[in-house]
Amino acid sequence: MDFALSTEQEDFRVAIRRFVDERSPLSAVREAVQTDAGHDTGLWSRMSQDLGLPGLLIPEKVGGSGATMVDAAMVAEELGRGLVPSPYFATVALGVVPLLATVPSGIGAGVQADVLTEVAAGGCTLTTAMTEPRAANSLAPVSLRATATGGRTTLTGRKIQVIDGHTADKVIVVAVSAEAESRYGFYLVDGDAEGLTRTKVETLDLTRPMAHLELDGVPTTRLGEPMSWSEVERVLDRSATLLAAEMVGGLEGAMTLAVEYAKVRHQFERPIGSFQAIKHRCAEMAVELDAARAASLHAAYLASTDDPGLATAAPVALATAAAGFAFAASWDIQIHGGIGFTWEHDAHLYYRRAKADEVLFGSPRQNWLALADRLGI
Amino acid sequence: MDLTYPATAEEFRQRVQSLIAENVPPGFTGTGALERAERDKFARRWRRTLAEHNLLAVSWPAEYGGGGLSPIEQVVLSEELARAGLPHGSESDMFGIQLIGNTLTVWGTEEQKQHFLPRILSGEDVWCQGYSEPEAGSDLASLRTRAVLHDGEWVINGSKIWTSAAQFANWIFVLCRTDPDAAKHKGISLLLVPMDQPGIEVRPIVNMLGEAIFNEVFFTDARTSAANVVGPVNNGWTVAMTLLGFERGASATTDAIRFEAGLERLFALAREHDRHRDPHIREQLAWCHGRVEVMRSRGYQALTRFLRGDNPGAEAAITKIMWSEYFQRETELAMEILGPEALTPDGRGANGAIAMPDPGTANTSRAWVESALTARSATIYAGSSQVQRNIIGEQLLGLPKEPRVTR
Ligand SMILES: Cc1cc2nc3c(=O)[nH]c(=O)nc-3n(C[C@H](O)[C@H](O)[C@H](O)COP(=O)(O)OP(=O)(O)OC[C@H]3O[C@@H](n4cnc5c(N)ncnc54)[C@H](O)[C@@H]3O)c2cc1C
Repeated sequence: MDFALSTEQEDFRVAIRRFVDERSPLSAVREAVQTDAGHDTGLWSRMSQDLGLPGLLIPEKVGGSGATMVDAAMVAEELGRGLVPSPYFATVALGVVPLLATVPSGIGAGVQADVLTEVAAGGCTLTTAMTEPRAANSLAPVSLRATATGGRTTLTGRKIQVIDGHTADKVIVVAVSAEAESRYGFYLVDGDAEGLTRTKVETLDLTRPMAHLELDGVPTTRLGEPMSWSEVERVLDRSATLLAAEMVGGLEGAMTLAVEYAKVRHQFERPIGSFQAIKHRCAEMAVELDAARAASLHAAYLASTDDPGLATAAPVALATAAAGFAFAASWDIQIHGGIGFTWEHDAHLYYRRAKADEVLFGSPRQNWLALADRLGI
Repeated sequence: MDLTYPATAEEFRQRVQSLIAENVPPGFTGTGALERAERDKFARRWRRTLAEHNLLAVSWPAEYGGGGLSPIEQVVLSEELARAGLPHGSESDMFGIQLIGNTLTVWGTEEQKQHFLPRILSGEDVWCQGYSEPEAGSDLASLRTRAVLHDGEWVINGSKIWTSAAQFANWIFVLCRTDPDAAKHKGISLLLVPMDQPGIEVRPIVNMLGEAIFNEVFFTDARTSAANVVGPVNNGWTVAMTLLGFERGASATTDAIRFEAGLERLFALAREHDRHRDPHIREQLAWCHGRVEVMRSRGYQALTRFLRGDNPGAEAAITKIMWSEYFQRETELAMEILGPEALTPDGRGANGAIAMPDPGTANTSRAWVESALTARSATIYAGSSQVQRNIIGEQLLGLPKEPRVTR
């Protein structure tokens, strides 16, 4: 019985935290988001090649470090705390996770092994394209269907709001399988494939770039076998676990800004943090941070042991972290007063991230409702 | 990370399970299913059984009749008792075992431990908590009840209020001012006082459920031996805080276990009332499940800290807020599910439970209405939610205290 990070994990966390503080202060974040990539590519080389972050979940056999979801979640949390714009989330949560989930049996040969080897070496970024302009199907938000003709599979249609969609070296498209109407597949596409047009778009969350994708007969390979939508959801639960962890970090980041300001800003001859109207909101942030971290750690642990309990733990983590993060980020602005409403102040960066994350994998309400379904209430 | 319990804990679980199997009738669903008088009788017998097997005061050292159980065994015991729908002792054991008993194991003299601890287990001594006063609630250190040493005895004058279960108690632990000239927190001592004496009068107070659960206790030249002080004289504030630590912190490992049976009942209530299809209700029910799971995960974390020998610090304040505010939201959801049925409470009640009722409690409107009313007190006693938020703000986040009012 031991439900805490090991000493090595704690050391690793501290190292990542220090790296973020030193190499990616919020001033650097602001510069990075103005580049074409939307992230600091030099920083990403350090993260991928020196720190091996994209390879965390990848088995040692194909060049990764064979770490667990708990480790990957811990990194997500630290990057989330600093709002670090980087391909980490898309590559790991939306790339490595589905690749690993669709490996037929034991990682050895095959397209997954090839891609994972490249990712682990730090030479390849990934993402998943899921959302469509009008999510027609009520059961699943995906209606783009793969076409198979003459032994060749292609994709034609539109995917929107693809995280890092303009930079990812490979894109995994979630599509209805060519074989059957009610089966789905993860389809691998090269970022520079013929017929693929990627357009970077304006985003609410300045620190998480997105692109719309236009696919016109794009050649593709299906990863693994076609699956039911609930099997797709089992994969997405793992991705969601990493998003929840990232939000825990964001919550802590926003809370820290608020608390530090409340200690130094004086009005009425006293620090504003001595007023309970401020202090108690900060205390509520701490309660929600504690709750979100507990839920996120639990989900990551279940993911790391392939426990079916993840199906209910993931929406708990997601909804708890999302609600807590949005609460902290909105009060962070309020606690800063006028300065909190300025472009120069970092409060809005957290607020934008929080409000975007709140809908990225479904709103808290949608996640609670999904949980109710899964609990069979 | 690893959530499996060690083999020794699983062996212990087997022992507890067979003890339970030997002592409950077939088809037993929990003490909540019994009529109140029958429940109390059963609970007394079961308490004796636990005491005989050293399973009552699990955290005390074995030499004083305690279980000397490891933290993980304590959790296993809670799990099995909850699963079987059995109480862990009487309501007064909260004060006798959890509060003053545990505090004596930290601060008591050898004589005090040898004298008082076994008598708590045997049921010979039943305790209540004399902390709050009419003018000293959240600001406990402003208490005024005076104690003066006179001829080898403390002579006590003043009054306490909100004293739960004082009508069943024959001993009370009383925070008294023993040095009126010292600073507010400095001149306080914790005294152990027998209640069966002319200087003590207990008057019941009827709570908002209409039950006389707590009391006023008046001290008029009440007496206790000079030896009956816990810890050094005038150092009572530190002792009092140790005791409050047991009151607030200890539940983290078992909160999820406490609340999960009630949540199952709530799911069933929603189905019985055909409200389980309503998205608003579904969302709230799922939220409740989420909070219980958060408490479970926090429980694992607390257990891990225990096993590593760390004491709960200011995060105990988070634990208190988490369960008490959950309890309110859960029981109010039950009222919403009941709808108009809540207007005329009916059926078997919650048996006077001070928090979640015992497992096996009927899914009646009366039981839920009583729980919802009871839940209002949870954010007041053991440190109000506002006091907990001050603690979190000041001790965990380092925010400045409020300026003192100077007159
Ligand atoms: C069911 C029940 C059982 C109890 N049993 C016992 C018992 O057995 N023994 C015992 O000694 N006591 C007992 N108590 C008393 C309990 O500890 C007190 O009620 C509690 O400490 C609050 O004190 P008070 O009632 O005087 O309220 P007050 O302290 O007067 O508080 C009134 C309101 O003011 C708020 N408030 C107070 N100070 C602050 C502050 N600094 N900042 C912001 N808000 C503040 C409170 O949160 C509350 O909302 C019991 C209480 C209840 C309800």
